[in-house]
Amino acid sequence: MTTESNHVLNIKNLNLSFGGIKAVDQVDFHISKNELLGLIGPNGAGKTTVFNMISGFYQADSGSIQFNEKEISALSPDQINKAGIARTFQNIRLFGQLTVLDNVLLALQQTINLGWFESLFRTKTYIEKERLLTNECLALLKIFNLDQYQNEEANNLPYGLQRKLEIVRALATKPKLLILDEPAAGMNHQETEDLKKLIHFVKDKFSLTVLLIEHDMKLVMSICDRLVVLNRGLKIAEGSPADVKKNPAVIEAYLGKRS
Amino acid sequence: MTKKLILFFISFVVTGLICQFFLNSYIQSLVISFLVNAIMALSLNFITGVANQFSLGHAGFMALGAYTSAVITKEFFGHQWFMIPISALIGGFIASFAGYLVSLPSFKLRGDYLAIVTFGFAEIVRVVILNWNYVGGPRGYSSITAWPSFTVSFAITGIFLFITFLVLYNLKISWFGRNLWAINENEIAAEVMGTPIAKNKRSAFMISSFFAGVGGALYAHHVSYISPATFGFLMSVQILIFAVFGGLGSMSGSVLSAMILTALPEVLRSLPTGGIDLRMIIFPILLILVMILRPQGLMGRKEIFEK
Repeated sequence: MTTESNHVLNIKNLNLSFGGIKAVDQVDFHISKNELLGLIGPNGAGKTTVFNMISGFYQADSGSIQFNEKEISALSPDQINKAGIARTFQNIRLFGQLTVLDNVLLALQQTINLGWFESLFRTKTYIEKERLLTNECLALLKIFNLDQYQNEEANNLPYGLQRKLEIVRALATKPKLLILDEPAAGMNHQETEDLKKLIHFVKDKFSLTVLLIEHDMKLVMSICDRLVVLNRGLKIAEGSPADVKKNPAVIEAYLGKRS
Repeated sequence: MTKKLILFFISFVVTGLICQFFLNSYIQSLVISFLVNAIMALSLNFITGVANQFSLGHAGFMALGAYTSAVITKEFFGHQWFMIPISALIGGFIASFAGYLVSLPSFKLRGDYLAIVTFGFAEIVRVVILNWNYVGGPRGYSSITAWPSFTVSFAITGIFLFITFLVLYNLKISWFGRNLWAINENEIAAEVMGTPIAKNKRSAFMISSFFAGVGGALYAHHVSYISPATFGFLMSVQILIFAVFGGLGSMSGSVLSAMILTALPEVLRSLPTGGIDLRMIIFPILLILVMILRPQGLMGRKEIFEK
């Protein structure tokens, strides 16, 4: 089942140091198609650093990141998005003063070429294209019951909906791999339950592969197919949630050594 | 939309006729000044208001357009006034190319840092012109091809303003404006959504400096004498005041504020203040009051004709 060709994302011997600190040290793992992989670890384990390398904000010192068998470690964030990877942020980064609709429209319009001259003269074809885009956005918003807020400024949405909108916006770029950076941060129990359903729904509906970084152990253990555990930049465990839970290295990393 | 355009066109012609037949040359010259100022304010507003790139160098782009157009009409087009629109466009392209050069090292800068780079650019342009004898050096460049009459000047400058407004407004409400606004709101998120940041910023910079160059050219042919001193720091700041006063991000706000701020000093000049020149006291106080009471400018981000 885990043949190489089945791997959507393949990370090999990834290294990155900040000054003298090895933030990521020889990390390798892969994600298979339609898998929900969780990347976990205590604070400062290097999860977000790995994330930022996948999405193009950091350049790895050495190692390779392959997406659909194409090397992406040297690409810029916008090129990586075009390649088919979309992400959300730990601290929400919406376009606060744009409307909900415009937030999604912005993401969707990157997938097509609208042209300079058409928009300068507002030709019929341009207006028609804009209309089609808007309809597509509204349909997408409707799936997530956000269409009622379409003309609301994104800043004015409640916290849970802002998270949701961020995921919708990421989906609008038509990704094959969706990366969620601590989506449950700052959520209460009920909101986390809703999020769980949302992630499953999104994954099935858009037949996505999902990489999840999360602190909330309950969430991770209950929805992930497989886990990768990092500690101090090193990969210390990999396997199904049940296996990882029992792994002594993981217990030590989270709780300390048994005396 | 067509109705509005026809209405606009009629009022444009009527204004021209009124100015031509009922008002003196002093008012007429003010009207042209307003048109040129509006072009400059629009051009700066596009880069600072819509794209959130703080430029203090628009006097530099203006100078490039002004000198290019002035020299070309005089030396190559044999003082023919009907060649002015073409040389104004050439001036615009030269300014736009300069904008491209400036954007190369500076697209990663923002806010105050970008302002310093653009200000430095404007100073470089000024100092080069100051030391260039062919264009007059510190003496300035005089007897520039002038318009044959007010009507022609009004019509052509007005058409240029109209085109500038239309282009920048259409870009603002199109995909490009949305890209710029998103970058302005959250650069990292925009980049992750697949927006090529550097490319968008550079295009915005080139478009803005193009219209600044055209505005500069029209200015040169309006006053028919330019010198390096004209395009100093104060000019950049003045353009910035126009844009901020009207509301950053509002194109019609820029035109409105150009109208008000061109007329206001002249109105204040004619006040009976008994020999004391209160103009330079009242004008800044008014500006400060506006900034305190309405920091987003007259129009904020909205357009006059939008609800």
